[in-house]
Amino acid sequence: MTFHLPNRRSLLRAGGAGMLGLSLPKILRGEERTRAIKSRAKSVIFLFQWGGPSQLDTFDMKPDAPDTVRSPYRPIATSAPGIQICELMPEMSKWMDRVSLVRTMTHKMKNHASAGYYALSGHEPPSDDQRLRDSLDLYPAYGSVVDHLMPNTNGMPTFVAYPHVMRDGSVVPAQHASFLGKQHDPLFFLEDPNAPDFALPELSLPQGLSVDRLQRRREMQKLIDQQNRMLEYSDQARGFDQYYQRAISMLTSDNVRKAFDLSAEKGSTRDRYGRTTYGQSCLLARRLVESGVKFVTVYFSNSIGGRRIDSGGWDTHGFDDTRMYKIVDKYHLPITDQTLPTLLNDLEQRGLLDETLVVWMGEFGRTPDINKNSSRDHWPQCYTALLAGGGVKGGYVYGKSDAHARFPIENPVRPEDLAATIYYLLGIDPLTEIYDLDHRPLIIGGNVVKDVIT
Amino acid sequence: MSGPKPRNSFYTRTELTHRFPATHKPMRQVLVVFLGIFLAQIAFAATPTQIEFSVDVISVLSKAGCNAGTCHGNLNGKGGLKLSLRGQDPLADYHTLVFASRGRRVTVNAPEQSLILQKATGQVPHRGGARIRSDSSAYKLLKQWLELGAPPPSKDAVLVTHLQVEPLQAIVRDPNDSINFKVNAVFSDGTSRDVTESACYEMSNLLARVDANGKVTRAKFGESTLIIRYLDQQVPVPIAFTESRSSFVWDEPAEFNQIDRFVFKKLRRLKINPSPICGDSVFVRRAYQDVLGRIPTAAEARQFVHDESPGKRNRLIDSLLSRDAMADYWALKWADMLRVEEKVLDVDGVDAFHDWIRGSIADAKPMDQFVRDLITGVGSTFQQPAANFYRANRDPSTRGETAARLFLGTRLQCAKCHNHPFDRWTQDDYYSWATLFSQLDYEVGENKRRDKLDKNEFVGDQTVVVSKQDEVRHPNTKQFVAPKFLGGKQLTESQPEQRLGSVADWVTSPENKMFAATQANFVWYHLMGTGLVDPIDDFRLTNPASNPALLNFLADEMVQSGFDLRAMIRLVMSSRTYQLASVPNHTNVNDEFSYSRVLTRRLPAEVLLDMQSDVLGTAAQFAGYESGMRAVQIPGVRRKRLRDERPNGGDRFLQTFGKPERILACDCERSNGTTLKQVFVLMGESLNRRLAEGGNRLQTLVDEIDDDARLVDELYWTALSRSPTEVELSAALQMFRSEKRWSSIESVLESPRTARLRVTEDLVWALLNAKEFLFRR
Repeated sequence: MTFHLPNRRSLLRAGGAGMLGLSLPKILRGEERTRAIKSRAKSVIFLFQWGGPSQLDTFDMKPDAPDTVRSPYRPIATSAPGIQICELMPEMSKWMDRVSLVRTMTHKMKNHASAGYYALSGHEPPSDDQRLRDSLDLYPAYGSVVDHLMPNTNGMPTFVAYPHVMRDGSVVPAQHASFLGKQHDPLFFLEDPNAPDFALPELSLPQGLSVDRLQRRREMQKLIDQQNRMLEYSDQARGFDQYYQRAISMLTSDNVRKAFDLSAEKGSTRDRYGRTTYGQSCLLARRLVESGVKFVTVYFSNSIGGRRIDSGGWDTHGFDDTRMYKIVDKYHLPITDQTLPTLLNDLEQRGLLDETLVVWMGEFGRTPDINKNSSRDHWPQCYTALLAGGGVKGGYVYGKSDAHARFPIENPVRPEDLAATIYYLLGIDPLTEIYDLDHRPLIIGGNVVKDVIT
Repeated sequence: MSGPKPRNSFYTRTELTHRFPATHKPMRQVLVVFLGIFLAQIAFAATPTQIEFSVDVISVLSKAGCNAGTCHGNLNGKGGLKLSLRGQDPLADYHTLVFASRGRRVTVNAPEQSLILQKATGQVPHRGGARIRSDSSAYKLLKQWLELGAPPPSKDAVLVTHLQVEPLQAIVRDPNDSINFKVNAVFSDGTSRDVTESACYEMSNLLARVDANGKVTRAKFGESTLIIRYLDQQVPVPIAFTESRSSFVWDEPAEFNQIDRFVFKKLRRLKINPSPICGDSVFVRRAYQDVLGRIPTAAEARQFVHDESPGKRNRLIDSLLSRDAMADYWALKWADMLRVEEKVLDVDGVDAFHDWIRGSIADAKPMDQFVRDLITGVGSTFQQPAANFYRANRDPSTRGETAARLFLGTRLQCAKCHNHPFDRWTQDDYYSWATLFSQLDYEVGENKRRDKLDKNEFVGDQTVVVSKQDEVRHPNTKQFVAPKFLGGKQLTESQPEQRLGSVADWVTSPENKMFAATQANFVWYHLMGTGLVDPIDDFRLTNPASNPALLNFLADEMVQSGFDLRAMIRLVMSSRTYQLASVPNHTNVNDEFSYSRVLTRRLPAEVLLDMQSDVLGTAAQFAGYESGMRAVQIPGVRRKRLRDERPNGGDRFLQTFGKPERILACDCERSNGTTLKQVFVLMGESLNRRLAEGGNRLQTLVDEIDDDARLVDELYWTALSRSPTEVELSAALQMFRSEKRWSSIESVLESPRTARLRVTEDLVWALLNAKEFLFRR
């Protein structure tokens, strides 16, 4: 007799993602499909600011704080009455009436790896540790959860992520599908969208191979497959065969190919975004959501940075005589002020902004107290996230930080709450459970920040 | 109410406040007042209550699903209410329901106004919906409990000792499509009662549905397991739903060995005929793949298929088992689970540990000795390679979990935070097992890691030493626990030096069925594709073997053979069961767990890549290794670390096809699933480049064999271990002909060889992408 409790995969095969620990299959199926919530955003563009931008020098200026705390830059008025931002973002200031700021992002992870994992998954890591290893024990990326619960049916990938791997020594977890299975990994690439010959190898025919030859290969493959009945009796073999069909259509005529073709953009448009890896990545993000990709993650930089004025992330400690205020004003803020408003404008002009949620945030903020290197260190207790489009209010600030932007004094928001808000806007119930390798039911998000929603 | 006698000794206020100190500090006073009221009421009620919280109330909550892992039993609770998972901790649940949140959940003066009833019935908004109807006996019971003043669990509440289930297993034949069960709970005071209505039911898969009263109804033909649970007791009931097959005739297939007797006995009962024996071309391929992780060369395949002498299959098995490559392939399986990985073990440690694992298998070291060496492995990790087991598993909990998983087939991690919801292991079991592994320390030299930021990385030797350490503390009691074998006796030796030896003795003892069964199941799984217990590291009460008698037999054989890996492989492979075809017949098309046919499965990453290399006659490239290394021989995961670049060549292939990172001590980390990305790798640049690479086998054969038909035949034997069928041959020849015509018209500059080579590349691409190539069948 049999007595086989199914493993996760066999249940997935059976058509749902349920697991044991639930009472009845009926309930099980009800729970595993996420409850229908009105979706306000069709797509998300998640701009991950690796390294940790300073709240005090961007969107939560404290001009009245002592000079040991306040930014050397001045705040300026913006298009939103009562909201001031840093003077180095004049273009962004024109947009504040159409974005929401969450000024009370808060958690306790002081290391890039653990904080990065928290920011990219919405789950508190088991320890605040640089040793946090990317393993199948840990939670998947947001986009993989979306692909698991609400996959695209329009032929486009659900989740695309690029053009860097986040690592601080070890690879930061939550950049892929983890225990949800490789089929939910992002379409991920490291090719530079700013390179003149930018193209994805996946979407290019091998050199010297004509479409005719590709078809000939496929025809012969099909003929061999007909010599036995495997495609008839093996689901796995049949499933694999369907991927060939899909891949060929992507290689030849598919919309996917077109979406990745940045050369179809006008030179002036590309210039507006900035001829940088980040700028062109954001332009590509717009093309991707336009063609129906649901979740696009753009990683700001390939390293935590803070050492150079022409590359790297926001991690400006001022080590080795690399002062923060020689980097943020020359590199981080100019590139942000060029790219972010351009992306928002472009989305708005194309009528995409209402259905596209743009999230701009890092893994933490920076210390209110300026350190001995005239710079700032890691500060997860209070920092700012910016949300725009996709059902989010304009000219709105959620949460209140104290006089030094040191701690939230009203409405703290944890990363899981922000995650819940993202899922909610996409129409995914943040209380939906997913199942890990030990079949544990795990809730995907925290509490939705309903106040930022229109 | 018949059944367990209610008791009257309750937890007192002092006991409750001791157990739940100041969790609600501001509410202390209120709590005291509440308790005062309760105790007064209880004292006032001269007759003992009729309702026992830990039996009656908990079973109602379980039945309604309130304390399920998806609802309030979740680690984080739900909607602000957290109950213990499946009511494991009645006292805590009592406290939560009655006192926590300022006692707002119960209103003893107006029971029907109690939040727990209003929520459960959906009278006030409840995310979980209406769980209990107000006219149900469950509702009545809760109300009655509240009317009695919500009495707490009594100290000497009776326990459920076991469940009597009728029937204990079942075959349901069409046209019947459902079955009922009767469940009787036996209590510690000797009483018993029918709990069919209050027990909880769930199915192991979606082949059948079960209703609240335990009636199981077929959704599809096949096998499923009903798990019946009442309080902390559970019983698995295997159920098979079969077609009526009134005209079924058993084919009487000949048994090759004892394995077939056990398998066929079950099949016959299920009225399933096994598929016929697979053909020689399929068998030779399967045998090479399973023993060596490769396919036969064209010559080897031809020789075997054309061999007319009897007993050739068993001779092939023997000869494969004696080849060096066998140790490469089986070492890979162990290296995955033993976390042979560069960052933690260092490149030198990886080499040493892998050499040791491979050497143990090559030298036919008995598996009990192999495991004993791992458990007792201390010393320099470079000089005493087995010590790498503890270099990778660095704390008592991890060591305990890994040892249980690999050697005893048991996943203990659930019991780290609460009693295992699907098994018999308690939190106490978990920590007394973990502390057996507590008397170890590391002498760590200078870490010469290249990236100072990367704290995972440790470069250089380490020495694992036995040293006096504290025992592990229980997280709830904060007390040291006494070392105890899992489900066994307490450790008697007091010397730390003796401890690992005692653990090894106990684990590998022939009397330890868990060990022998786990090792036998490991071999069975790798040869048959599904473990008798599956996943292989998940032996548990609620996950019984699909053929317990067979597993028993194999475990005994494991012991009898002196834990000889090759003897076990030989035994399985020489069975008829192993040699069955994968093509289903009309009686076994729904069978997935009874081994009436061989299951098709995608080959592992390393095997696929080596097969490509063998067909093409060129080696794949791996960063950090000299050319010529086979993928199955790679000792670790990634010898050279890549920063911001994607892995290339062989490394990229292995990653895409699911070679594990070896961070978890679990076979589950390897993924043999299929993805779109894999197809891109097979269709794209990297395979195409290898097909066209100068000096590969395609070019040699094109030069050596002038006749197109002979060339096609050779390519088929090389890739698929068989001749082309007539249709295939004529299609292939047609490709050659049209290309010749085409190239003679289009480009006079092109040599006929180039055109012929182009067709050969396309044909070989098709062979390497045929499901027959990519899947084991």
